[in-house]
Amino acid sequence: MIDKSIKRHKLKSLIDKKETIKSFIVSLIDSAIIDAVLLPIKVPSGDSFAWILIKDKKILNNAEVIAPIMPINVANALKQYTRKGKGNLKIAVLLRPCEVRATIELIKLNQINSENVILMSYDCIGAIPMKDYIADPVNGDSTFNNALNQIEWNSSKMKEVCHICEDFSNTTSDLHFAFDSKEVIALANSKKGEKVLENFNENDNYNLEKWQKEITKISQERAKKKEDSFEISKKMLDGLDAIHATFANCIGCHNCGSVCPICYCRQCYFDSSTSKPNSDIIIGRAESRGGISLPLDKIMYHTGRMAHMSLSCVSCGVCSDACPVNIPVAKLFSYVATQTQKAFEYSSGESLGDTLPMKEYKLDEMGELAKLVKSAETLESENE
Amino acid sequence: MSLKNRAVMVVGAGIAGIQAALDLAEMGVKVHLIEETASIGGRMPQLDKTFPTNDCSMCILSPKMSECARHENITIHIKSNVLSVKGKPGDFTATIVEKAKYVDPVKCVACGLCEDKCPVKVDDEFDMGLRKRGAISRYFLQSLPSEYTIDKEKCLYLTRGVCRLCEKVCPANAINFQDIDKEIELSVGAVILATGIDAFDPIGFGQFGYRSYKNVVTSLELERILSASGPMGGHVVRASDHKEPKNIAFIQCVGSRDESINHNYCSSACCMFAIKEAIIAKEHMKELDVAIFYMDIRAFGKDFDKYYEKSKNQYGVKFIKSKVSEITELEDGTLKLRYVLENGEIKFKNFEMVVLSIGLEPRKNMRELAGKLDIQLNEYGFCKSNTFSPLTTSREGIFVCGAMNGPKDIPESVMSASGAVAETTKYLRLERQEIKEKKIKEIDVVGNRPRIGTFVCHCGINIAGVVDVKKVAKEAKDLKNVEHSEDLIYACSQDCLETIKKRIKEHNLNRIVIAACTPRTHEPLFRETIAEAGLNPYLFEMANIRDQCSWAHMNEPEKATEKSTDLLNMGVAKARGLQPLERLPISINPKALVVGGGLAGMNTSLTLADAGHEVYLIEKDEKLGGNLNNIFYSFDKDPQVLLEDLKEKVSNHKLIKLHKNTKIEKIDGYVGNYTTTFSHNNEKQNVEHGVVIVCTGAKEHVTEEYLYGKSDRIVTQVEFERMLKYNQLPSPKPKNVVMIQCVGSREEGRMFCSRVCCTKAVKNALIMKEKYPRINTYIAYRDIRTYGFREKYYTELRDKGVMFVKYDIEKKPDVKLVDEFDPDSKALVTVFDPIMDKEIEIQADLIVLATAIDPLPENDTLAKMLKIPLNEDGMFLEAHAKLRPVDFATDGIFLAGLAHNPKDIDESLAQSKAAASRALTFLNKKAILAEGTIAEIDESKCTGCRYCEQVCSYSAIEVDDEKGIAVINNALCKGCGSCVATCRCGALDLRGFSNLQLFDAFDAITMTDILGE
Repeated sequence: MIDKSIKRHKLKSLIDKKETIKSFIVSLIDSAIIDAVLLPIKVPSGDSFAWILIKDKKILNNAEVIAPIMPINVANALKQYTRKGKGNLKIAVLLRPCEVRATIELIKLNQINSENVILMSYDCIGAIPMKDYIADPVNGDSTFNNALNQIEWNSSKMKEVCHICEDFSNTTSDLHFAFDSKEVIALANSKKGEKVLENFNENDNYNLEKWQKEITKISQERAKKKEDSFEISKKMLDGLDAIHATFANCIGCHNCGSVCPICYCRQCYFDSSTSKPNSDIIIGRAESRGGISLPLDKIMYHTGRMAHMSLSCVSCGVCSDACPVNIPVAKLFSYVATQTQKAFEYSSGESLGDTLPMKEYKLDEMGELAKLVKSAETLESENE
Repeated sequence: MSLKNRAVMVVGAGIAGIQAALDLAEMGVKVHLIEETASIGGRMPQLDKTFPTNDCSMCILSPKMSECARHENITIHIKSNVLSVKGKPGDFTATIVEKAKYVDPVKCVACGLCEDKCPVKVDDEFDMGLRKRGAISRYFLQSLPSEYTIDKEKCLYLTRGVCRLCEKVCPANAINFQDIDKEIELSVGAVILATGIDAFDPIGFGQFGYRSYKNVVTSLELERILSASGPMGGHVVRASDHKEPKNIAFIQCVGSRDESINHNYCSSACCMFAIKEAIIAKEHMKELDVAIFYMDIRAFGKDFDKYYEKSKNQYGVKFIKSKVSEITELEDGTLKLRYVLENGEIKFKNFEMVVLSIGLEPRKNMRELAGKLDIQLNEYGFCKSNTFSPLTTSREGIFVCGAMNGPKDIPESVMSASGAVAETTKYLRLERQEIKEKKIKEIDVVGNRPRIGTFVCHCGINIAGVVDVKKVAKEAKDLKNVEHSEDLIYACSQDCLETIKKRIKEHNLNRIVIAACTPRTHEPLFRETIAEAGLNPYLFEMANIRDQCSWAHMNEPEKATEKSTDLLNMGVAKARGLQPLERLPISINPKALVVGGGLAGMNTSLTLADAGHEVYLIEKDEKLGGNLNNIFYSFDKDPQVLLEDLKEKVSNHKLIKLHKNTKIEKIDGYVGNYTTTFSHNNEKQNVEHGVVIVCTGAKEHVTEEYLYGKSDRIVTQVEFERMLKYNQLPSPKPKNVVMIQCVGSREEGRMFCSRVCCTKAVKNALIMKEKYPRINTYIAYRDIRTYGFREKYYTELRDKGVMFVKYDIEKKPDVKLVDEFDPDSKALVTVFDPIMDKEIEIQADLIVLATAIDPLPENDTLAKMLKIPLNEDGMFLEAHAKLRPVDFATDGIFLAGLAHNPKDIDESLAQSKAAASRALTFLNKKAILAEGTIAEIDESKCTGCRYCEQVCSYSAIEVDDEKGIAVINNALCKGCGSCVATCRCGALDLRGFSNLQLFDAFDAITMTDILGE
């Protein structure tokens, strides 16, 4: 529930939501609250978007503000920007809630320094799958913009993970833009956010009740959908044979890992020389069971990645967009992540205050895990 | 004998003796460790688990035992006794007698054939008679030294002149019936006594039926029953019929707190011992019903109360405050207990097994020993020492530790042992030790193709009885890079070690793999051996085919052989990647930093300064002494005299640089090389030192309970003691004084016992009785915890008519002011009295609250500076609750006094001596060697995510904020590999144990990846 005391400000409504937010960002630059802003701009070919750190206000005119697709998770851009420490300029960045969550995880993992960054988020209606958009960008734009301005929560054109996303609204960003039908209301979620809103005199008492109800309703509907979707995912990962079948057409390109914000290793173990056995050993393996699939370690790669990132996975879905062979990685990882995070009573990206489960030791945490295993066992025996 | 570094004789090789020997040896002092039985270890090996961590006793002791047995400065004399100590401190001549062992320790390889064949079967002392042993035997499985010895009294040949079977079967020719007792003279500078205690023998306790009722056992017997290596294989069964009991009763204080047998003392450990056994038994059998019949539960040590609460809440152990008056045995062996509740009600209950929690008493031979050594005993027959000199005996130069001078649990014993070592230092003329230079030049193997030698050990029949050793050795010959492979009867015997060295030279071997028992005990020996042949000691790998093959699969010889081949194969694969490793020297600055100028800090500083080391003593306050400033009475001497004495010595010692009113700003560095910045009146100063001792103390809890602060007549024990001292009791003299115990202690948010308050209340009540005999005293308590010799004063106080009322945490005493607007108001105390079985009201003229001891809030700052941990209560957390009570996991940092846990003056004195002693093991060396097997980092892969920082127990890895990359401190890294396992980026690796080596080892046998793609 939105706290009554939360600082809020109704933005001046323009022709559409993007323009409304854009004009707010311009005013932030004009009043020197920020020095630059990170926003998507359409690429010349017209079928994708690039994120540009904009210093020159003129370029801002070309900014898309909210892109219909997610070619990258913007947390990855921030990761690079602050890798060597905080920047000296104050910048703002507009992110989808899943991107905010990824940013929070990366801050905890020491990969992003957010000291001079204002994180802004908005009520997200989802993103169109990359492949669909590239096939028909014009249609993609109009579908997305209509959905955005009508606030169509359940558009079938969005990515699979978006359909089951429960955390599409207010997040741990500094400023969140709530979309209450035509209105855009900025909510301050942090001291940083409050400081920004202090610059706007007309401090609103905007009533968010209706908006709040709507968000809650959608979230609950999504939770149900999620359960159904997880039933399918569970079957796809149920046992070694199922896993083999699910990942059978993987070509080992490692794209999913490259675009994943949580896969923050400089070099993936599976790209390193340590993971490359010599031919004797490969022949030995082939000998021991008649044959061996090359390139090596496809299942190991995916399970290894799950082990490493599932506690921090934010279900943003960029992995599925990046997969050239249409393996529904996002859905599957989202399923696994939900289970592992539940086991450690952790919710990725929810709060900077929560410690990463692997970074702290609690005497009774394995007890909780044991309970979970136990309840799964009883379920199984009941099913039998 | 050289004037420098005089030797020390340590008598008794239990945990205290072992600790003392190790500390001395590490300071470069030669030690003669005298042990009566055939092995070092003492009581600990008999225990199954230890409280409150449930660590396996043998698992935590065994590394210390092997270190002790291996240390070049320690000579162990087993089956030996002291005859006399002559001369003066610093120059004693001790005479000992080493009894005949009839087995040549150099030849014996402990294969056990002799005992198998020995026709004599007698009760095994180690297993409390629950198992049989031969006349030739070793004391227990993990005995050290591991050789067998012959029991002269039981051997057929030595008593009747027939048999000699052992001699015939011994493959090593080690039996020597010509062996005789030898008298040895030792020239030593000081003596440490650590002969320990005996367990009380309840055989005379008719009403409990020990030995006449078959299902009544002692707590020590139960310990053997619970032990997985014990006679029942770790199954909770009755010795009489091997049936699992449905319920067990523990009877506390058998042989303790009993004036009728001159045991008017508390044995201190039995409450926790019983709780531990109850928990372990419940872990074995969930359905088991366990009841503990007790007088007071004395869970006064660190984290003990949490353990006690856990036993009740999590395990459902029942505690019945009552006296068991009689046990009768029913026909089926069930035992019927008759017991009396507090309100006088008599009850009966049947149990299938009864455990007598036997107390501790002085060793049987104490008087004899005291005579030989010319030392005095106390009224109960323990070695005599004083509150203010808890480690000294009545004879100068002879010190005491462990339970020999009073019942103690393991950590107290360890502390006293290290403390006693500190006491000896002034007689030893210590000299700082240099690192010994390598005698043999190392062969350079870098870049050479691996030439591996494999050796497979028979270990007599220990391995060869199950595993086809010859086959394993033969198959290894075909492995890539193996240039030589052979089997050896006893790889660790002197002649076989020579063979290994010879083969290295003959075949130009540059990596050695030995398939044998276990690296835990034998890796150091083998490493030393290959070093003698000119190889870097890290070019060694071991396959433990005894522990993991012949022992684990003793009934499946073929599979055991196959697994041995696989393990050796893996060892060879890993050995291919071995590289020579260097142990780099780390210089040690001989100065020390002591934080805190209370009792512990002053005593530590003085001990270190007396041993010749410069000390920076930092005190945050204007005056020295800390909490000792508020203590005016003890059962011994005047604490204020002790305080003044310490203050004067500290202030005048030329090696102690005293900094009062000073705050520590920053501590940088690592063991041997610290730089500390502190400030005094805003003026900063930097000093360099080699070690840090944390003696920051604790503070009195400020309570809001019981209307404290609302009337001048409600005071704390600390305030009350001052009132007594300066005759400031309210006038007219109070008629009734009510003391309330456990104010803040042992409850939610402070689930620990403040340890000293029961004794403090008893002490102050006694003094009040003496000064003002007509004042009525009431003490409302939860458990009276006057452990050890403090019990006597509790009894005395009860005899003087002080009324003790036990209250329950659910029903705390209620305090009401008579006139709440009067700042000097008297009060009305209402409390439920279980003996009268009703609420009683007391008109109190004075209420004295025993407030808890709180950790300092600023502990957190210092903990962060030093990167050392605090426990959940906010007290500093030592490296190991049992065996490293004054160390931190990080080398070079030590702990003493209230900062560790609440404790009494004598305990703080002993612990601060111990901390000094542990510090001296570093300070007395000019340099130490870092580990060879340490982590290393590939900077190009590191993301600086700090996972490694979190898992490192030794604070040896830290992310450099500027570079965003983890940096390993080679001096602190112990090579445990936690960081390597945690590093998801593959940036970390362990030298000599690399990921690649491990994968090669897996590949060597599996030829398959885990998921079978």
